[in-house]
Amino acid sequence: MSNLKTILQAKDLKLGYRKGPKETVVAENISFELKTGELTCLLGPNGVGKSTVLKAIHGQNPPLEGSLLFEGKPLSSFDQTDLARKISVVLTEKITSANLTVGQLVALGRTPHTGWLGRLNPTDKEIVENAIKATNTEYLHDRRLSELSDGQLQKVMIARALAQDGELMILDEPTAHLDLVNRYEIMHLLRQIAQTRNKAILVVTHDLDIALETADQFWIMQCGAPLITGLPEELVLQDKIDQLLQSDQLYFSLVSGKVQIKAPSPSIDVKGPAHLIQWVNSALKKKNISTQTLNRHFSIQILEAPLRYEVTDSSGKTMHSSLTEMIEHIQKSKSSII
Amino acid sequence: MDKGGSSTILIVAGLVLTLTLFVLNISIGSVYIPVGEIFQGLWSGEFSRSSWETIINTYRIPKAFTAILAGIGLSISGLQMQTFFRNPLAGPFVLGISSGAGLGVAILVMAGSAFGFTFFGGGVGIWATIISATVGAISVLLLMSLTAWKVKDSMTLLIVGLMFGSATSAIISVLAYFSDAEQLKTFTIWSMGSLGSMDYGQLQVFLLAILIGVIPVIVFLKSFNAMLLGETYAESMGVNIHRLRWAMIISTGILAGATTAFCGPIAFIGIAVPHIARLVFKTSDHRILFPASAIIGAAVLLLCDAVSQMPSSAQTLPINSVTSLIGAPMVIWLILRRNFSKEF
Repeated sequence: MSNLKTILQAKDLKLGYRKGPKETVVAENISFELKTGELTCLLGPNGVGKSTVLKAIHGQNPPLEGSLLFEGKPLSSFDQTDLARKISVVLTEKITSANLTVGQLVALGRTPHTGWLGRLNPTDKEIVENAIKATNTEYLHDRRLSELSDGQLQKVMIARALAQDGELMILDEPTAHLDLVNRYEIMHLLRQIAQTRNKAILVVTHDLDIALETADQFWIMQCGAPLITGLPEELVLQDKIDQLLQSDQLYFSLVSGKVQIKAPSPSIDVKGPAHLIQWVNSALKKKNISTQTLNRHFSIQILEAPLRYEVTDSSGKTMHSSLTEMIEHIQKSKSSII
Repeated sequence: MDKGGSSTILIVAGLVLTLTLFVLNISIGSVYIPVGEIFQGLWSGEFSRSSWETIINTYRIPKAFTAILAGIGLSISGLQMQTFFRNPLAGPFVLGISSGAGLGVAILVMAGSAFGFTFFGGGVGIWATIISATVGAISVLLLMSLTAWKVKDSMTLLIVGLMFGSATSAIISVLAYFSDAEQLKTFTIWSMGSLGSMDYGQLQVFLLAILIGVIPVIVFLKSFNAMLLGETYAESMGVNIHRLRWAMIISTGILAGATTAFCGPIAFIGIAVPHIARLVFKTSDHRILFPASAIIGAAVLLLCDAVSQMPSSAQTLPINSVTSLIGAPMVIWLILRRNFSKEF
């Protein structure tokens, strides 16, 4: 982490599309810095223009206004091959070439560095092998892409981007469609690559909790407002995460570090071990059970070893061995009263 | 890209097969000539009968070379289009190039009675046919290029190509409706395809066209591999999509246009051969697939031509029917055998 270097710098970008004299602005007031050795997560609701930001950085859709500097020089001054040697991408696009093996795919990452035949020299081969090693996908080397799971495919695509060996790597929702374990693995892998290989990595993601855990920087995009950048924890403490939630129903809880539904907490008397109470409360909340909705008082005592629940209300005490059973009991007595 | 060894063996095997089919091709025909006689004749230049020498030298050998060149031209343009459009069903017919050539010939042959005027004095000599087919192919090609210049999306280009094809076919139908029986027959015979109507002079022009058409492929070989991951990935790896698209259009235009001009439309080679190459060589690497497709294309067309001679019969079948009869079931089989898009 010692040699953090700003490689990409944007100031007051205005992004959009120009067709003749007509200008369609997608996003404005975008300023940011990308540093090597850091993992940056770009968060924002669908349709806010995250892909447009990626396209601008990638040189596909130059900004309408503002300055975008790569290593101190305007991004537009780089030609396509130069840019390909500096920036690599992992897209959401599905790869259809099932005949490619993993080794061949990763080797394709060397395309901007090889001669016209695309032959790999020993250095290229070493970089390819290193990229495969860094993503822990050696065991997949000779497999065909059609034989890979989504998680494996994503790691291999990261290896390909790594083999391209630029200073900046951009990933568009690399964890979409993946299971929980793969989401964590991919994000931690990216963090590790950023640190050990001193790359700047920019990830678009919707996984707030995993991003909070892994990212060095957050960029938060929202409709019609400037881009918010900063340390993830800082943004949490400044209540900026709520900006992501364009809904009156949701809020970001500082306590749990999770997005939660704004609803009166069930004023039910639940007693027992603290780590268990929140789960009982959350189950009751989903079923909309509280003193207010039931219009009568009752209390729950959680007992451990074995786990069971004791409900006390006007009709007396009952013991339940599962949450389902307990909720059924409460709901039944509720309907019998009304 | 690491299985160079087995690919080399397969390429050599393919070359041997092509050579064998070449000999088979020239030994088959309505006149029986013993194979030993052919070998000896080719070796020493002396045949025991002068009629055999005439048949072999002025008819069968140019025909076999035409088959090889046409097979190479169609397969290589098919492979380029399939990779560029990332569509397993793309082929020279799809971009409307063959239909354009067909329209050129249709106008030459049939416009006389339809519109009351004629080109080339109404003659339908071989060079007139070749020139009008080339003009037709180039016209469609220019229209496609204009579209490619305006339209950035390859799938749109493919659909526009299909529509051009349909439109030219419709114009041909209108021309056919108004033309008289003799002209209609002339055009229909052209549209059945023929490998055997060329002399050495025309063969040289054909060879030159194929060589020129292959140049863009060689220049952009690496880009075709990058295109396997789609346009955006290819661009991110430094491939200039714009330039590649032009190279692809020019190359397929020359290859497929020249082939159709010289031999008439020959169906299914362009679509089916690249798939056979992928199936046999089990690779997506274009450094192997291009030579492989060329060899297989040559071999398949030599075989189709041999079949069209209907051994031990004086009749010959139209080459376009033979390639369709062999190619159509093959494409269906490929589709049913496994997921077509996965094969890709």
